[in-house]
Amino acid sequence: MWALVPMALGALVACGGERIPPKALVDARADFTRTQGGIAIQLDPTDVHEADLALQRAEQAFRDSPDEASTVDLAIIADRKALIAQAEAEALKAQNDVQQAKQQLDAAKAAQLQNTQGQLSQTQLQLQQQQAASVAQQQQLQDLQAKLKDARDTIAKIATVKDDDRGMVITLQGEVLFKTGKYDLKPAAMAKLDTIAEALKGKEQPTVVYGYTDNVGARDMNMGLSQNRAQAVRDYLVSKGIPQDLVTAQGKGPDEPVADNASVEGRAQNRRVEIVVQPKK
Amino acid sequence: MRPITACGALCVVGAMACGASVPPPNDSWAAAQADVGRAQSGGAPENPDAKLHLQLAQEDLQKAKQLIGEDNRRATTLSELARVEAQLALSLAKDASSQVEATKAQSDLQKASAK
Repeated sequence: MWALVPMALGALVACGGERIPPKALVDARADFTRTQGGIAIQLDPTDVHEADLALQRAEQAFRDSPDEASTVDLAIIADRKALIAQAEAEALKAQNDVQQAKQQLDAAKAAQLQNTQGQLSQTQLQLQQQQAASVAQQQQLQDLQAKLKDARDTIAKIATVKDDDRGMVITLQGEVLFKTGKYDLKPAAMAKLDTIAEALKGKEQPTVVYGYTDNVGARDMNMGLSQNRAQAVRDYLVSKGIPQDLVTAQGKGPDEPVADNASVEGRAQNRRVEIVVQPKK
Repeated sequence: MRPITACGALCVVGAMACGASVPPPNDSWAAAQADVGRAQSGGAPENPDAKLHLQLAQEDLQKAKQLIGEDNRRATTLSELARVEAQLALSLAKDASSQVEATKAQSDLQKASAK
């Protein structure tokens, strides 16, 4: 039965009829058509051309000797070449895509870097400004301390100056400021207070003026006298430019003596006015 | 022209009949062997499609070797077949790895853009 097939095919050729192409050739034609219609024609024209030549060879072999085993082999070769062109083109496209994605990634990274650098510059600028401000503040503080020292040195020439937990304490003896039992300031006192007011002006430090007496006489009287004396000094300082809301007066009478009231010298030391300049808050 | 072609065809038929005049395809066989080696080291064994064509190439190469001297004409065709199968295996492996690389690059880009 099978022996009849070649004979029948031969008869078909003899009659000028169409031969049925082998499956390999049908596949090769289909794969080549697909390859030619795809991206390979642009991306890998050399392999497409080779596939074309291989297909022509296979077609020629089919026309010349359709029954030869080599015709099928040539068709397979043509088919594989078409597939190679297709795979190479697709690989090439993928590689191009990779390149493109990498370039975009690089661009995105560069943009991010630029952004970060921008932020860094901004932060550095802010830091520099803060440092400059801090330096200026430091300078102001130093200036203030220098002024305070100057003030203290000035005051120390006309009064006793010491520091305790209340702040800087300027002590003026009662005899220098007031006549016995009085609370209006002597001209010499005014001159001293002028110096003190001038030195303290502009420092903006809260100040308390304390008045003290010795223990001679009634306590009530001493309390009143010391309050009036403190108030007189306070008012005078205000009149010389110390802000009134920064300076207050308080009479302490015979309390908190600094010396023994039993001796003349001790009592003289206890009759005093203390101007306490508190640290700036 | 026609008589010449007819004569040529006759000559070919004559040669086939004798099995002579086709030299042993030593060079094309060696080239096929080299292509098989390239496909093997180029990642073909790791990809199913590529692996299939690599196996076909190895089989054709083996058959061609056996036929050299005995049927040089067939050995030549088989060597050529082995070559294209090996080349296809390499191209498929290359395509597969390029696709993986492209997918990864795309994903990297998306991740970076999402930040």
